[in-house]
Amino acid sequence: MKTSKVIELIEIRKVIMTVIMLFFGILMIVPFLWMLSTSLKSPSEVFIYPIKWIPEAFNFSHHIRIWSGDHSFVTYYLNSLKVSIASTIGAVFLSALAAYGFARIEFKGRNTLFMVYLSMMMIPPQVLFVPKFLMFDWIGIYNTHWALILPGMFTIFGVFMMRQFFMSVPYEISEAAFIDGAGHVRIFFHLILPLAKPALATLAIIDFSWHWNDYENALVFLIDNSLYTVPLGLQTFILENTVDYNGMMAAASAGILPMIIIFILGQRYIVQGISNSAVKG
Amino acid sequence: MIITIQERWGMMMNKNWMRRQQRLGYLFIGPNMLGVLLFFIIPAFYSLYLVFTDYQFMKPDKNFVGLANIERLLHDELFYTAMLNTVIFLLAVPISIGLAFVVATVLNQSVYFKKLLRGLYFLPYITSGVAIAFVWMLLFQPNQGPINGFLRSIGIANPPGWLSTIETSMFAIDIIWVWFMLGYNMIIYLAALQEISSELLEAARIDGANRWQTIRKIIFPLVSPTTFLLLITGLIMTVKTFGIIQAITQGGPGNSTTILSLFVYQHAFRYYDMSYAATISWALFIFILVITMIQWWGQKRWVHY
Repeated sequence: MKTSKVIELIEIRKVIMTVIMLFFGILMIVPFLWMLSTSLKSPSEVFIYPIKWIPEAFNFSHHIRIWSGDHSFVTYYLNSLKVSIASTIGAVFLSALAAYGFARIEFKGRNTLFMVYLSMMMIPPQVLFVPKFLMFDWIGIYNTHWALILPGMFTIFGVFMMRQFFMSVPYEISEAAFIDGAGHVRIFFHLILPLAKPALATLAIIDFSWHWNDYENALVFLIDNSLYTVPLGLQTFILENTVDYNGMMAAASAGILPMIIIFILGQRYIVQGISNSAVKG
Repeated sequence: MIITIQERWGMMMNKNWMRRQQRLGYLFIGPNMLGVLLFFIIPAFYSLYLVFTDYQFMKPDKNFVGLANIERLLHDELFYTAMLNTVIFLLAVPISIGLAFVVATVLNQSVYFKKLLRGLYFLPYITSGVAIAFVWMLLFQPNQGPINGFLRSIGIANPPGWLSTIETSMFAIDIIWVWFMLGYNMIIYLAALQEISSELLEAARIDGANRWQTIRKIIFPLVSPTTFLLLITGLIMTVKTFGIIQAITQGGPGNSTTILSLFVYQHAFRYYDMSYAATISWALFIFILVITMIQWWGQKRWVHY
């Protein structure tokens, strides 16, 4: 009798806590809900209070508008996809390569080099903007997608993350392969990389989301509207339509949608990657 | 069979072969190192060199001016405003970490639908970026926006102007930033909390510690290295950010949301005053260095490894 009552009490507590946390959790995503609801409203309904969460009539015209016309989100999406995919592929491969070198090969100067990498994390990107701008202008890639893709392929965070993973792989695996006469190159491609698939996926997802959301580099290195990535396109749209709140929210939804899809599909990888990089690092 | 293995061991131990294998280290790191050299190290040194010149993008000549830029910076009132704004911006970091700790401890033990809840709190972080900044811009709209609509409905006749008044704009940005960072901090706390052994908590319970005591005397000290890490990385990351502010306020109204990183951007790409922008950017670097050092120095008092 007594224990069942205690258990009952714990259960009730748990239900109450769940309700409270659910309330705040929904509060966290209210901006998204409001955005979506506004994008489907008519202009006169935007600022009605109390908020009309479900519009009188669903109005898809704002969504249709941002996907058509001259500078539409079709262009921005294609640009963003191109830049993000190219950068991510490069970054994942080059990070894994370098991380293998740092984690599993002992060579002269390795620790010094790693210290250089460490110290580069302290340098704010603002220090690099001006010289990179001048350099890109000089070699002629300013205002091209290369200005985002080339530097985007090098991520110090990625090297750290992959190094962390490679160090956790038992060394006996490499030793056994050495006995079979394999060198580092073969071990890397045939043994370690296949083992690292989950870590590579995690890095790819995190890196992709950075590139997709990257507004600052695009702002500095692109000027032609036809080259704009989604964040810049969004900004342009909003500057050009300052009172078109429905259109703004339709555009914002379009900008966020891929991230939400990636989040739903890859939540496990994202959560794992973020916790690993911090707790063990 | 045994002989072949020994032979192969011999080959592995073969000094020449091993040395060649070690030299492969450079091959593995080389491509990445090249990029780091091109896009990090060389630009960093070039930027440092610019500090001592008077280079402006529109004027082709570049002269050595010694410490003139640094002197100008130290007499620039806006620099101090930007520093103060940056400090106000940074307030969001400990607040967000504190809230994340609460959310994580609750999610860790006493709720249903753990995964769903975790997803709800984490969503803002992954969808970061300008898109969501514009949503907040409308939510904060002073006259008709839903936030002030709510405040009026609960009887606050004169709700704040949020992003549109000098006194409140930086704090409105703080609210967005707390909201955004919360999920990231929570995820890392959740990972740290899972490493705490349940026996330890059980022992505390048997010894008669109540929930609050357990959190304060056991959980909090045990996750203090995580808190420290979140504080360091969070502060550094926040100092480096300017995207959402550039997108919503461009540093205004007045200069009330001009933080250091945005200040660099404005001088570089609004006025094309490259040398001065480089100078501010190194001040930003020193700023990061100082807060990191204060952290390291202060951690002895409260971080338990």
